[in-house]
Amino acid sequence: MKWAYLGGALIVAAVPLILTPGQLTTFVLLGLSAMTVVGLSLLMGYAGQVSLGQAAFTAIGAYTCGLLALHHTPPLLALLAAPLAAAAAAVLVGVPILRLRGHQLAFATLALQLILLSVLGDADWAGGAVGLQGLPYLSIGGFELDEDIHYAYVVLVLIALVSLIAYRLVRSRVGRGLRALATGEAAAEASGVPVGAYRLLVFGVSAAFAGLAGGIYSFFLGYLAPGSFPVLLSVEYVVMAVVGGLGSIAGALLGATLITVVVQLLTTLATQPGMPSYAPSVLSYAVYALLLIAVVLFVPKGIVPTLRRSS
Amino acid sequence: MGELLQYLVTGVGIGCAYALTGSGLVVIYRVTRVVNFAQGSFAVLAALTVTTLLAAGLPHGLAEALAVLVAALTGLIAGAVATGKPGTTPQAGLIITLGLGVFAYAVEILLWGDQPRSFAGVPGSIDGIQKHYLLIIAVTAVVLGATALLFARTDLGRALTATAADPYAARIVGINVLRMGLFAFALGGALGGLAGVLITPVQQVSFDSDVALVVSGFSAAILGNLTRPGLTLAGGLLLGVVQALVGGYLSTAYQSEVALIFMLVVLVARAGRREVLEAA
Repeated sequence: MKWAYLGGALIVAAVPLILTPGQLTTFVLLGLSAMTVVGLSLLMGYAGQVSLGQAAFTAIGAYTCGLLALHHTPPLLALLAAPLAAAAAAVLVGVPILRLRGHQLAFATLALQLILLSVLGDADWAGGAVGLQGLPYLSIGGFELDEDIHYAYVVLVLIALVSLIAYRLVRSRVGRGLRALATGEAAAEASGVPVGAYRLLVFGVSAAFAGLAGGIYSFFLGYLAPGSFPVLLSVEYVVMAVVGGLGSIAGALLGATLITVVVQLLTTLATQPGMPSYAPSVLSYAVYALLLIAVVLFVPKGIVPTLRRSS
Repeated sequence: MGELLQYLVTGVGIGCAYALTGSGLVVIYRVTRVVNFAQGSFAVLAALTVTTLLAAGLPHGLAEALAVLVAALTGLIAGAVATGKPGTTPQAGLIITLGLGVFAYAVEILLWGDQPRSFAGVPGSIDGIQKHYLLIIAVTAVVLGATALLFARTDLGRALTATAADPYAARIVGINVLRMGLFAFALGGALGGLAGVLITPVQQVSFDSDVALVVSGFSAAILGNLTRPGLTLAGGLLLGVVQALVGGYLSTAYQSEVALIFMLVVLVARAGRREVLEAA
Protein backbone atom coordinates (compact mmCIF):
# COMPACT_ATOMS: atom_id res chain seq x y z
CA MET A 1 0.00 0.00 0.00
CA LYS A 2 2.83 2.41 0.89
CA TRP A 3 4.50 1.67 -2.46
CA ALA A 4 1.27 2.41 -4.28
CA TYR A 5 1.11 5.85 -2.66
CA LEU A 6 4.76 6.51 -3.50
CA GLY A 7 4.24 5.43 -7.11
CA GLY A 8 1.16 7.61 -7.37
CA ALA A 9 3.04 10.58 -5.93
CA LEU A 10 5.87 10.11 -8.45
CA ILE A 11 3.42 9.98 -11.36
CA VAL A 12 1.66 13.14 -10.15
CA ALA A 13 5.05 14.84 -9.73
CA ALA A 14 5.83 14.13 -13.39
CA VAL A 15 2.50 15.52 -14.64
CA PRO A 16 3.50 19.25 -14.75
CA LEU A 17 6.39 18.39 -17.09
CA ILE A 18 4.08 17.21 -19.86
CA LEU A 19 1.33 19.84 -19.59
CA THR A 20 0.84 22.70 -22.06
CA PRO A 21 0.99 26.26 -20.61
CA GLY A 22 -2.82 26.52 -20.49
CA GLN A 23 -3.15 23.17 -18.77
CA LEU A 24 -0.46 24.17 -16.30
CA THR A 25 -2.59 27.12 -15.15
CA THR A 26 -5.50 24.75 -14.61
CA PHE A 27 -3.19 22.38 -12.73
CA VAL A 28 -2.12 25.10 -10.30
CA LEU A 29 -5.69 26.29 -9.73
CA LEU A 30 -6.77 22.68 -9.24
CA GLY A 31 -4.05 22.25 -6.64
CA LEU A 32 -5.22 25.34 -4.79
CA SER A 33 -8.82 24.03 -4.77
CA ALA A 34 -7.58 20.65 -3.53
CA MET A 35 -5.75 22.32 -0.64
CA THR A 36 -8.91 24.12 0.42
CA VAL A 37 -11.11 21.06 -0.05
CA VAL A 38 -8.89 18.89 2.18
CA GLY A 39 -9.68 21.30 5.01
CA LEU A 40 -13.37 21.60 4.15
CA SER A 41 -13.76 17.84 3.91
CA LEU A 42 -12.21 17.51 7.36
CA LEU A 43 -14.59 20.13 8.71
CA MET A 44 -17.69 18.62 7.12
CA GLY A 45 -16.77 14.99 7.68
CA TYR A 46 -15.33 15.09 11.20
CA ALA A 47 -16.83 18.15 12.80
CA GLY A 48 -20.13 17.66 10.93
CA GLN A 49 -20.29 21.32 9.95
CA VAL A 50 -21.40 22.59 6.55
CA SER A 51 -19.54 25.75 5.57
CA LEU A 52 -20.97 27.62 2.60
CA GLY A 53 -18.44 30.41 3.09
CA GLN A 54 -15.11 28.64 2.78
CA ALA A 55 -14.05 30.92 -0.07
CA ALA A 56 -14.16 33.78 2.45
CA PHE A 57 -11.05 32.31 4.09
CA THR A 58 -9.38 31.95 0.69
CA ALA A 59 -10.14 35.64 0.17
CA ILE A 60 -8.75 36.58 3.60
CA GLY A 61 -5.54 34.67 2.87
CA ALA A 62 -5.21 36.17 -0.59
CA TYR A 63 -5.83 39.76 0.55
CA THR A 64 -3.52 39.42 3.57
CA CYS A 65 -0.78 38.13 1.33
CA GLY A 66 -1.45 40.66 -1.42
CA LEU A 67 -1.58 43.68 0.88
CA LEU A 68 1.59 42.66 2.73
CA ALA A 69 3.44 41.98 -0.53
CA LEU A 70 2.38 45.38 -1.92
CA HIS A 71 3.71 47.03 1.22
CA HIS A 72 7.14 45.50 0.67
CA THR A 73 6.96 42.63 3.11
CA PRO A 74 9.24 39.77 2.04
CA PRO A 75 7.01 37.46 -0.06
CA LEU A 76 7.70 34.36 2.02
CA LEU A 77 6.69 36.20 5.18
CA ALA A 78 3.52 37.44 3.45
CA LEU A 79 2.69 33.88 2.39
CA LEU A 80 3.20 32.68 5.95
CA ALA A 81 0.81 35.35 7.20
CA ALA A 82 -1.98 34.19 4.86
CA PRO A 83 -2.96 30.96 6.68
CA LEU A 84 -2.40 32.62 10.04
CA ALA A 85 -4.75 35.49 9.23
CA ALA A 86 -7.41 33.11 7.88
CA ALA A 87 -7.16 30.86 10.96
CA ALA A 88 -7.33 33.86 13.28
CA ALA A 89 -10.46 35.10 11.49
CA ALA A 90 -11.99 31.62 11.73
CA VAL A 91 -11.34 31.36 15.46
CA LEU A 92 -12.73 34.86 15.98
CA VAL A 93 -16.03 34.20 14.18
CA GLY A 94 -16.03 30.54 15.19
CA VAL A 95 -16.59 31.24 18.87
CA PRO A 96 -20.11 32.57 18.33
CA ILE A 97 -21.17 30.76 15.14
CA LEU A 98 -19.92 27.23 15.80
CA ARG A 99 -22.72 26.85 18.31
CA LEU A 100 -25.00 26.68 15.27
CA ARG A 101 -25.84 23.43 13.52
CA GLY A 102 -26.74 22.20 10.05
CA HIS A 103 -28.60 24.70 7.92
CA GLN A 104 -28.09 27.48 10.46
CA LEU A 105 -24.32 27.26 10.20
CA ALA A 106 -24.56 26.95 6.41
CA PHE A 107 -26.48 30.23 6.19
CA ALA A 108 -24.30 31.93 8.82
CA THR A 109 -21.08 31.12 6.95
CA LEU A 110 -22.70 32.22 3.69
CA ALA A 111 -23.74 35.48 5.35
CA LEU A 112 -20.18 36.05 6.61
CA GLN A 113 -18.78 35.61 3.12
CA LEU A 114 -21.33 38.02 1.64
CA ILE A 115 -20.46 40.59 4.33
CA LEU A 116 -16.73 40.16 3.67
CA LEU A 117 -17.18 40.58 -0.10
CA SER A 118 -19.30 43.67 0.43
CA VAL A 119 -16.75 45.16 2.85
CA LEU A 120 -13.84 44.43 0.48
CA GLY A 121 -15.80 45.94 -2.42
CA ASP A 122 -16.22 49.21 -0.50
CA ALA A 123 -12.76 49.32 1.10
CA ASP A 124 -10.37 51.86 -0.41
CA TRP A 125 -7.40 50.26 1.36
CA ALA A 126 -8.15 46.99 -0.47
CA GLY A 127 -8.64 48.61 -3.86
CA GLY A 128 -12.46 48.44 -3.74
CA ALA A 129 -14.21 46.58 -6.51
CA VAL A 130 -11.10 46.81 -8.72
CA GLY A 131 -9.00 45.01 -6.11
CA LEU A 132 -5.24 44.74 -5.88
CA GLN A 133 -3.05 44.73 -8.96
CA GLY A 134 0.61 44.38 -9.80
CA LEU A 135 1.40 41.91 -7.04
CA PRO A 136 5.00 40.65 -7.10
CA TYR A 137 5.97 37.04 -7.74
CA LEU A 138 6.73 34.75 -4.85
CA SER A 139 10.45 34.49 -4.18
CA ILE A 140 12.23 32.06 -1.94
CA GLY A 141 15.74 32.99 -0.79
CA GLY A 142 16.33 35.37 -3.69
CA PHE A 143 15.01 32.93 -6.30
CA GLU A 144 11.99 34.46 -8.01
CA LEU A 145 9.24 32.04 -9.01
CA ASP A 146 8.13 33.63 -12.25
CA GLU A 147 7.01 30.61 -14.27
CA ASP A 148 3.84 28.56 -13.99
CA ILE A 149 5.76 25.32 -13.53
CA HIS A 150 7.43 26.71 -10.38
CA TYR A 151 4.00 27.27 -8.89
CA ALA A 152 2.92 23.78 -9.95
CA TYR A 153 5.65 22.29 -7.78
CA VAL A 154 5.11 24.71 -4.90
CA VAL A 155 1.45 23.67 -4.94
CA LEU A 156 2.33 19.96 -5.02
CA VAL A 157 4.62 20.34 -2.02
CA LEU A 158 2.00 22.30 -0.12
CA ILE A 159 -0.72 19.74 -0.91
CA ALA A 160 1.54 17.07 0.54
CA LEU A 161 2.09 19.23 3.62
CA VAL A 162 -1.61 20.00 4.05
CA SER A 163 -2.56 16.33 3.60
CA LEU A 164 0.08 15.29 6.14
CA ILE A 165 -1.24 17.78 8.70
CA ALA A 166 -4.81 16.60 8.08
CA TYR A 167 -3.71 12.96 8.39
CA ARG A 168 -1.87 13.56 11.66
CA LEU A 169 -4.85 15.49 13.00
CA VAL A 170 -7.29 12.70 12.15
CA ARG A 171 -5.03 10.07 13.72
CA SER A 172 -4.41 12.05 16.88
CA ARG A 173 -6.37 12.29 20.09
CA VAL A 174 -8.23 15.19 18.50
CA GLY A 175 -9.23 13.00 15.55
CA ARG A 176 -10.56 10.26 17.79
CA GLY A 177 -12.47 12.82 19.80
CA LEU A 178 -13.95 14.26 16.62
CA ARG A 179 -15.04 10.84 15.40
CA ALA A 180 -16.78 10.27 18.70
CA LEU A 181 -18.32 13.71 18.32
CA ALA A 182 -19.64 12.94 14.85
CA THR A 183 -21.42 9.81 16.03
CA GLY A 184 -22.88 11.14 19.25
CA GLU A 185 -22.29 14.60 20.59
CA ALA A 186 -23.77 14.08 24.03
CA ALA A 187 -21.86 10.82 24.52
CA ALA A 188 -18.60 12.41 23.41
CA GLU A 189 -19.11 15.35 25.72
CA ALA A 190 -19.96 13.05 28.62
CA SER A 191 -16.74 11.11 27.98
CA GLY A 192 -14.73 14.27 28.42
CA VAL A 193 -14.16 15.29 24.79
CA PRO A 194 -13.82 19.09 24.72
CA VAL A 195 -16.41 19.36 21.96
CA GLY A 196 -16.34 23.11 21.44
CA ALA A 197 -12.55 23.41 21.43
CA TYR A 198 -12.08 20.58 18.93
CA ARG A 199 -14.71 22.01 16.59
CA LEU A 200 -12.98 25.37 16.73
CA LEU A 201 -9.63 23.71 16.06
CA VAL A 202 -10.87 21.98 12.91
CA PHE A 203 -12.59 25.16 11.75
CA GLY A 204 -9.32 27.07 12.25
CA VAL A 205 -7.24 24.41 10.48
CA SER A 206 -9.62 24.27 7.50
CA ALA A 207 -9.53 28.06 7.28
CA ALA A 208 -5.71 28.01 7.42
CA PHE A 209 -5.61 25.61 4.44
CA ALA A 210 -7.97 27.86 2.50
CA GLY A 211 -5.91 30.91 3.46
CA LEU A 212 -2.69 29.25 2.31
CA ALA A 213 -4.31 28.49 -1.05
CA GLY A 214 -5.41 32.12 -1.24
CA GLY A 215 -1.86 33.32 -0.56
CA ILE A 216 -0.42 31.26 -3.41
CA TYR A 217 -3.30 32.42 -5.61
CA SER A 218 -2.37 36.07 -5.11
CA PHE A 219 1.27 35.45 -6.13
CA PHE A 220 0.32 33.18 -9.01
CA LEU A 221 -2.24 35.47 -10.69
CA GLY A 222 -0.77 38.81 -9.59
CA TYR A 223 -4.15 40.47 -9.09
CA LEU A 224 -7.10 40.11 -6.71
CA ALA A 225 -10.64 41.41 -6.65
CA PRO A 226 -13.69 40.65 -4.51
CA GLY A 227 -15.14 39.03 -7.66
CA SER A 228 -12.34 36.41 -7.55
CA PHE A 229 -14.03 34.81 -4.54
CA PRO A 230 -17.76 34.54 -5.31
CA VAL A 231 -20.25 32.48 -3.33
CA LEU A 232 -20.16 30.04 -6.19
CA LEU A 233 -16.52 29.27 -5.35
CA SER A 234 -17.63 28.16 -1.88
CA VAL A 235 -20.31 26.02 -3.49
CA GLU A 236 -17.67 24.52 -5.80
CA TYR A 237 -15.59 23.53 -2.77
CA VAL A 238 -18.62 21.87 -1.18
CA VAL A 239 -19.34 19.98 -4.42
CA MET A 240 -15.74 18.74 -4.58
CA ALA A 241 -15.75 17.65 -0.93
CA VAL A 242 -19.11 15.86 -1.17
CA VAL A 243 -18.33 14.12 -4.47
CA GLY A 244 -14.95 12.83 -3.25
CA GLY A 245 -16.27 11.77 0.13
CA LEU A 246 -16.47 13.78 3.34
CA GLY A 247 -13.77 13.20 5.93
CA SER A 248 -11.47 11.51 3.43
CA ILE A 249 -8.21 13.20 2.41
CA ALA A 250 -7.90 11.07 -0.73
CA GLY A 251 -11.56 11.84 -1.43
CA ALA A 252 -10.92 15.57 -1.23
CA LEU A 253 -8.01 15.31 -3.67
CA LEU A 254 -10.00 13.09 -6.02
CA GLY A 255 -13.11 15.27 -5.81
CA ALA A 256 -11.15 18.43 -6.66
CA THR A 257 -9.36 16.68 -9.52
CA LEU A 258 -12.46 15.04 -10.96
CA ILE A 259 -14.58 18.19 -10.95
CA THR A 260 -11.80 20.40 -12.32
CA VAL A 261 -10.90 17.99 -15.10
CA VAL A 262 -14.53 17.42 -16.15
CA VAL A 263 -15.33 21.14 -16.13
CA GLN A 264 -12.11 21.89 -18.03
CA LEU A 265 -12.89 19.26 -20.68
CA LEU A 266 -16.39 20.64 -21.15
CA THR A 267 -15.08 24.21 -21.31
CA THR A 268 -12.65 23.17 -24.04
CA LEU A 269 -15.55 21.58 -25.86
CA ALA A 270 -17.79 24.60 -25.31
CA THR A 271 -15.26 27.12 -26.61
CA GLN A 272 -14.94 25.36 -29.97
CA PRO A 273 -15.90 27.59 -32.89
CA GLY A 274 -19.63 27.58 -33.51
CA MET A 275 -20.60 27.13 -29.88
CA PRO A 276 -22.61 29.97 -28.33
CA SER A 277 -20.76 32.28 -25.92
CA TYR A 278 -22.77 31.16 -22.93
CA ALA A 279 -21.95 27.46 -23.45
CA PRO A 280 -18.98 27.24 -20.99
CA SER A 281 -20.87 28.69 -18.04
CA VAL A 282 -24.04 26.69 -18.75
CA LEU A 283 -22.09 23.44 -19.00
CA SER A 284 -20.00 24.03 -15.88
CA TYR A 285 -23.03 24.98 -13.76
CA ALA A 286 -24.85 21.90 -15.03
CA VAL A 287 -21.88 19.67 -14.18
CA TYR A 288 -21.55 21.01 -10.62
CA ALA A 289 -25.27 20.62 -10.06
CA LEU A 290 -25.80 17.20 -11.58
CA LEU A 291 -22.68 15.64 -10.02
CA LEU A 292 -23.60 17.03 -6.60
CA ILE A 293 -27.20 15.80 -6.77
CA ALA A 294 -26.29 12.40 -8.21
CA VAL A 295 -23.63 11.76 -5.56
CA VAL A 296 -25.84 12.85 -2.65
CA LEU A 297 -28.67 10.61 -3.88
CA PHE A 298 -26.81 7.55 -5.07
CA VAL A 299 -23.32 7.58 -3.46
CA PRO A 300 -24.11 9.38 -0.20
CA LYS A 301 -20.74 8.59 1.38
CA GLY A 302 -18.84 9.95 -1.61
CA ILE A 303 -16.67 8.15 -4.15
CA VAL A 304 -13.53 7.25 -2.16
CA PRO A 305 -15.17 5.90 1.04
CA THR A 306 -17.61 3.86 -1.09
CA LEU A 307 -14.79 2.33 -3.15
CA ARG A 308 -12.80 1.55 0.03
CA ARG A 309 -15.73 -0.25 1.61
CA SER A 310 -16.53 -2.36 -1.43
CA SER A 311 -12.91 -3.43 -2.07
CA MET B 1 -42.15 63.66 6.31
CA GLY B 2 -42.93 62.85 2.68
CA GLU B 3 -39.48 61.33 2.42
CA LEU B 4 -39.98 59.16 5.49
CA LEU B 5 -43.36 57.92 4.22
CA GLN B 6 -41.76 57.11 0.89
CA TYR B 7 -39.04 55.04 2.57
CA LEU B 8 -41.60 53.27 4.74
CA VAL B 9 -43.80 52.25 1.80
CA THR B 10 -40.82 51.16 -0.30
CA GLY B 11 -39.47 49.21 2.66
CA VAL B 12 -42.77 47.48 3.34
CA GLY B 13 -43.07 46.64 -0.38
CA ILE B 14 -39.62 45.06 -0.57
CA GLY B 15 -40.23 43.46 2.84
CA CYS B 16 -43.33 41.77 1.41
CA ALA B 17 -41.13 40.04 -1.16
CA TYR B 18 -38.84 38.86 1.66
CA ALA B 19 -41.87 37.68 3.63
CA LEU B 20 -43.21 35.72 0.65
CA THR B 21 -39.82 34.09 0.03
CA GLY B 22 -39.48 33.37 3.74
CA SER B 23 -43.02 31.94 3.94
CA GLY B 24 -42.12 29.57 1.12
CA LEU B 25 -39.11 28.41 3.15
CA VAL B 26 -41.34 27.99 6.22
CA VAL B 27 -44.03 25.97 4.41
CA ILE B 28 -41.42 23.60 2.98
CA TYR B 29 -39.37 23.35 6.20
CA ARG B 30 -42.37 22.66 8.43
CA VAL B 31 -43.61 19.76 6.34
CA THR B 32 -40.35 18.23 5.08
CA ARG B 33 -37.63 19.59 7.48
CA VAL B 34 -35.68 20.54 4.37
CA VAL B 35 -34.29 24.07 4.22
CA ASN B 36 -34.80 24.80 0.56
CA PHE B 37 -31.73 26.59 -0.69
CA ALA B 38 -33.27 26.90 -4.16
CA GLN B 39 -36.05 29.15 -2.81
CA GLY B 40 -34.54 32.23 -4.48
CA SER B 41 -34.36 30.41 -7.81
CA PHE B 42 -38.16 30.10 -7.94
CA ALA B 43 -38.40 33.90 -7.83
CA VAL B 44 -35.76 34.39 -10.51
CA LEU B 45 -37.27 31.72 -12.76
CA ALA B 46 -40.78 33.18 -12.47
CA ALA B 47 -39.57 36.73 -13.12
CA LEU B 48 -37.63 35.69 -16.21
CA THR B 49 -40.62 33.69 -17.45
CA VAL B 50 -42.76 36.83 -17.21
CA THR B 51 -40.34 38.76 -19.44
CA THR B 52 -40.70 36.06 -22.11
CA LEU B 53 -44.48 35.80 -21.84
CA LEU B 54 -44.90 39.59 -22.04
CA ALA B 55 -42.62 39.69 -25.08
CA ALA B 56 -44.81 37.01 -26.65
CA GLY B 57 -47.77 39.38 -26.37
CA LEU B 58 -49.59 38.02 -23.33
CA PRO B 59 -51.37 40.66 -21.23
CA HIS B 60 -50.21 41.64 -17.74
CA GLY B 61 -51.90 39.56 -15.10
CA LEU B 62 -52.08 36.43 -17.23
CA ALA B 63 -48.33 36.43 -17.81
CA GLU B 64 -47.66 36.84 -14.08
CA ALA B 65 -50.17 34.13 -13.14
CA LEU B 66 -48.68 31.66 -15.62
CA ALA B 67 -45.18 32.42 -14.32
CA VAL B 68 -46.27 31.67 -10.75
CA LEU B 69 -47.70 28.40 -12.02
CA VAL B 70 -44.35 27.60 -13.66
CA ALA B 71 -42.65 28.32 -10.32
CA ALA B 72 -45.09 26.00 -8.52
CA LEU B 73 -44.35 23.25 -11.02
CA THR B 74 -40.61 23.85 -10.57
CA GLY B 75 -41.15 23.59 -6.84
CA LEU B 76 -42.88 20.26 -7.31
CA ILE B 77 -39.95 18.94 -9.36
CA ALA B 78 -37.46 20.29 -6.81
CA GLY B 79 -39.42 18.53 -4.06
CA ALA B 80 -39.46 15.26 -5.97
CA VAL B 81 -35.68 15.37 -6.39
CA ALA B 82 -34.93 16.53 -2.84
CA THR B 83 -37.37 14.29 -0.93
CA GLY B 84 -38.61 11.69 -3.42
CA LYS B 85 -35.96 9.02 -2.83
CA PRO B 86 -36.76 7.10 0.37
CA GLY B 87 -34.22 7.60 3.13
CA THR B 88 -33.04 11.04 1.99
CA THR B 89 -32.29 12.99 5.16
CA PRO B 90 -33.17 16.69 5.50
CA GLN B 91 -29.42 17.46 5.59
CA ALA B 92 -28.97 15.68 2.26
CA GLY B 93 -32.05 17.58 1.07
CA LEU B 94 -30.33 20.91 1.83
CA ILE B 95 -27.29 19.92 -0.23
CA ILE B 96 -29.54 18.69 -3.06
CA THR B 97 -31.46 21.98 -3.16
CA LEU B 98 -28.10 23.75 -3.26
CA GLY B 99 -27.36 21.69 -6.38
CA LEU B 100 -30.78 22.51 -7.82
CA GLY B 101 -30.07 26.22 -7.33
CA VAL B 102 -26.86 25.87 -9.34
CA PHE B 103 -28.70 23.84 -11.97
CA ALA B 104 -31.21 26.68 -12.28
CA TYR B 105 -28.27 28.95 -13.23
CA ALA B 106 -27.51 26.68 -16.19
CA VAL B 107 -31.16 26.69 -17.35
CA GLU B 108 -31.61 30.43 -16.85
CA ILE B 109 -28.43 31.41 -18.72
CA LEU B 110 -29.33 29.00 -21.52
CA LEU B 111 -32.82 30.48 -21.93
CA TRP B 112 -32.38 34.14 -20.97
CA GLY B 113 -28.66 34.96 -20.98
CA ASP B 114 -26.71 36.44 -18.09
CA GLN B 115 -27.82 40.08 -18.31
CA PRO B 116 -30.25 41.56 -15.74
CA ARG B 117 -33.87 41.86 -16.89
CA SER B 118 -36.96 43.65 -15.78
CA PHE B 119 -40.48 44.45 -16.95
CA ALA B 120 -42.98 47.22 -16.37
CA GLY B 121 -45.20 47.14 -13.29
CA VAL B 122 -48.12 49.36 -12.36
CA PRO B 123 -47.30 52.80 -13.79
CA GLY B 124 -47.63 56.12 -12.04
CA SER B 125 -47.05 57.35 -8.51
CA ILE B 126 -48.86 59.14 -5.69
CA ASP B 127 -46.86 61.70 -3.70
CA GLY B 128 -43.60 60.25 -4.98
CA ILE B 129 -44.59 56.71 -4.05
CA GLN B 130 -44.68 54.31 -6.98
CA LYS B 131 -48.12 52.70 -7.22
CA HIS B 132 -46.49 49.36 -7.86
CA TYR B 133 -45.41 49.13 -4.20
CA LEU B 134 -49.05 49.39 -3.17
CA LEU B 135 -49.85 46.48 -5.51
CA ILE B 136 -47.07 44.39 -3.94
CA ILE B 137 -48.44 45.09 -0.46
CA ALA B 138 -52.05 44.32 -1.44
CA VAL B 139 -51.24 41.07 -3.26
CA THR B 140 -48.99 39.87 -0.43
CA ALA B 141 -51.69 40.58 2.17
CA VAL B 142 -54.29 38.62 0.17
CA VAL B 143 -51.98 35.68 -0.61
CA LEU B 144 -50.55 35.27 2.89
CA GLY B 145 -54.08 35.59 4.30
CA ALA B 146 -55.30 32.87 1.93
CA THR B 147 -52.35 30.65 2.87
CA ALA B 148 -53.16 31.09 6.56
CA LEU B 149 -56.79 30.12 5.83
CA LEU B 150 -55.63 27.10 3.84
CA PHE B 151 -53.64 25.84 6.81
CA ALA B 152 -56.29 26.64 9.40
CA ARG B 153 -59.58 25.78 7.67
CA THR B 154 -59.14 23.08 5.05
CA ASP B 155 -58.54 19.32 5.30
CA LEU B 156 -55.46 19.69 3.13
CA GLY B 157 -54.08 22.34 5.46
CA ARG B 158 -54.76 20.21 8.52
CA ALA B 159 -53.05 17.25 6.86
CA LEU B 160 -50.04 19.47 6.14
CA THR B 161 -49.95 20.66 9.74
CA ALA B 162 -50.28 17.09 10.99
CA THR B 163 -47.35 16.04 8.82
CA ALA B 164 -45.33 18.94 10.17
CA ALA B 165 -46.13 18.01 13.76
CA ASP B 166 -45.47 14.28 13.55
CA PRO B 167 -44.85 12.53 10.21
CA TYR B 168 -45.11 9.08 11.77
CA ALA B 169 -48.47 9.66 13.40
CA ALA B 170 -49.70 11.39 10.24
CA ARG B 171 -48.85 8.29 8.23
CA ILE B 172 -50.73 6.09 10.68
CA VAL B 173 -53.95 8.05 10.21
CA GLY B 174 -53.65 7.67 6.46
CA ILE B 175 -51.97 10.85 5.32
CA ASN B 176 -49.58 10.41 2.42
CA VAL B 177 -46.54 12.14 3.92
CA LEU B 178 -44.52 12.18 0.72
CA ARG B 179 -47.40 13.76 -1.21
CA MET B 180 -47.81 16.39 1.52
CA GLY B 181 -44.09 17.19 1.18
CA LEU B 182 -44.46 17.58 -2.57
CA PHE B 183 -47.48 19.82 -2.10
CA ALA B 184 -45.50 21.93 0.35
CA PHE B 185 -42.71 22.29 -2.21
CA ALA B 186 -45.21 23.32 -4.91
CA LEU B 187 -46.77 25.89 -2.57
CA GLY B 188 -43.31 27.11 -1.59
CA GLY B 189 -42.44 27.39 -5.27
CA ALA B 190 -45.56 29.45 -5.96
CA LEU B 191 -44.86 31.80 -3.02
CA GLY B 192 -41.24 32.24 -4.15
CA GLY B 193 -42.36 32.78 -7.74
CA LEU B 194 -44.87 35.39 -6.63
CA ALA B 195 -42.14 37.25 -4.76
CA GLY B 196 -40.04 37.37 -7.93
CA VAL B 197 -42.94 38.43 -10.14
CA LEU B 198 -43.94 41.24 -7.75
CA ILE B 199 -40.48 42.65 -7.06
CA THR B 200 -38.94 42.59 -10.54
CA PRO B 201 -40.61 45.81 -11.85
CA VAL B 202 -38.90 47.76 -9.04
CA GLN B 203 -35.68 45.70 -8.81
CA GLN B 204 -33.94 44.16 -11.80
CA VAL B 205 -33.38 40.43 -11.66
CA SER B 206 -30.57 38.34 -13.09
CA PHE B 207 -29.77 34.65 -12.85
CA ASP B 208 -27.69 35.06 -9.70
CA SER B 209 -30.17 37.28 -7.81
CA ASP B 210 -31.31 34.11 -6.04
CA VAL B 211 -28.60 34.21 -3.36
CA ALA B 212 -29.61 37.66 -2.10
CA LEU B 213 -33.28 36.64 -2.16
CA VAL B 214 -32.90 33.33 -0.34
CA VAL B 215 -30.65 34.95 2.26
CA SER B 216 -33.20 37.73 2.85
CA GLY B 217 -36.05 35.19 2.99
CA PHE B 218 -34.09 33.05 5.44
CA SER B 219 -33.33 36.12 7.57
CA ALA B 220 -37.04 36.93 7.68
CA ALA B 221 -38.01 33.35 8.54
CA ILE B 222 -35.30 32.77 11.14
CA LEU B 223 -37.01 35.19 13.50
CA GLY B 224 -39.75 32.53 13.82
CA ASN B 225 -37.22 29.69 13.79
CA LEU B 226 -38.38 28.73 10.25
CA THR B 227 -41.71 27.47 11.63
CA ARG B 228 -43.81 30.54 12.48
CA PRO B 229 -45.55 32.21 9.50
CA GLY B 230 -46.61 35.28 11.49
CA LEU B 231 -43.11 36.05 12.73
CA THR B 232 -41.80 35.47 9.20
CA LEU B 233 -44.09 38.20 7.89
CA ALA B 234 -43.01 40.49 10.73
CA GLY B 235 -39.35 39.68 10.07
CA GLY B 236 -39.69 40.37 6.34
CA LEU B 237 -41.40 43.73 6.87
CA LEU B 238 -38.89 44.72 9.55
CA LEU B 239 -35.96 43.91 7.27
CA GLY B 240 -37.46 45.73 4.31
CA VAL B 241 -38.18 48.88 6.31
CA VAL B 242 -34.78 48.94 8.06
CA GLN B 243 -33.05 48.43 4.70
CA ALA B 244 -35.01 51.27 3.14
CA LEU B 245 -34.22 53.58 6.07
CA VAL B 246 -30.52 52.65 6.04
CA GLY B 247 -30.41 53.14 2.28
CA GLY B 248 -32.25 56.46 2.51
CA TYR B 249 -30.58 58.13 5.47
CA LEU B 250 -27.13 56.49 5.69
CA SER B 251 -25.80 54.88 2.54
CA THR B 252 -27.00 52.33 0.02
CA ALA B 253 -23.63 50.62 0.46
CA TYR B 254 -24.72 49.21 3.82
CA GLN B 255 -28.16 48.08 2.63
CA SER B 256 -27.28 44.49 1.81
CA GLU B 257 -25.57 43.97 5.16
CA VAL B 258 -28.74 44.69 7.12
CA ALA B 259 -30.36 41.32 6.46
CA LEU B 260 -27.08 39.45 6.89
CA ILE B 261 -26.19 40.99 10.24
CA PHE B 262 -29.78 40.65 11.44
CA MET B 263 -29.67 36.93 10.58
CA LEU B 264 -26.35 36.37 12.36
CA VAL B 265 -27.51 38.20 15.48
CA VAL B 266 -30.78 36.23 15.69
CA LEU B 267 -29.03 32.90 15.07
CA VAL B 268 -26.29 33.47 17.62
CA ALA B 269 -28.64 34.90 20.22
CA ARG B 270 -30.97 31.94 19.85
CA ALA B 271 -28.11 29.42 20.04
CA GLY B 272 -26.93 31.08 23.24
CA ARG B 273 -30.40 30.89 24.75
CA ARG B 274 -30.78 27.24 23.72
CA GLU B 275 -27.55 26.37 25.49
CA VAL B 276 -28.76 28.06 28.65
CA LEU B 277 -32.03 26.13 28.41
CA GLU B 278 -30.20 22.86 27.86
CA ALA B 279 -27.91 23.50 30.78
CA ALA B 280 -30.83 24.31 33.09
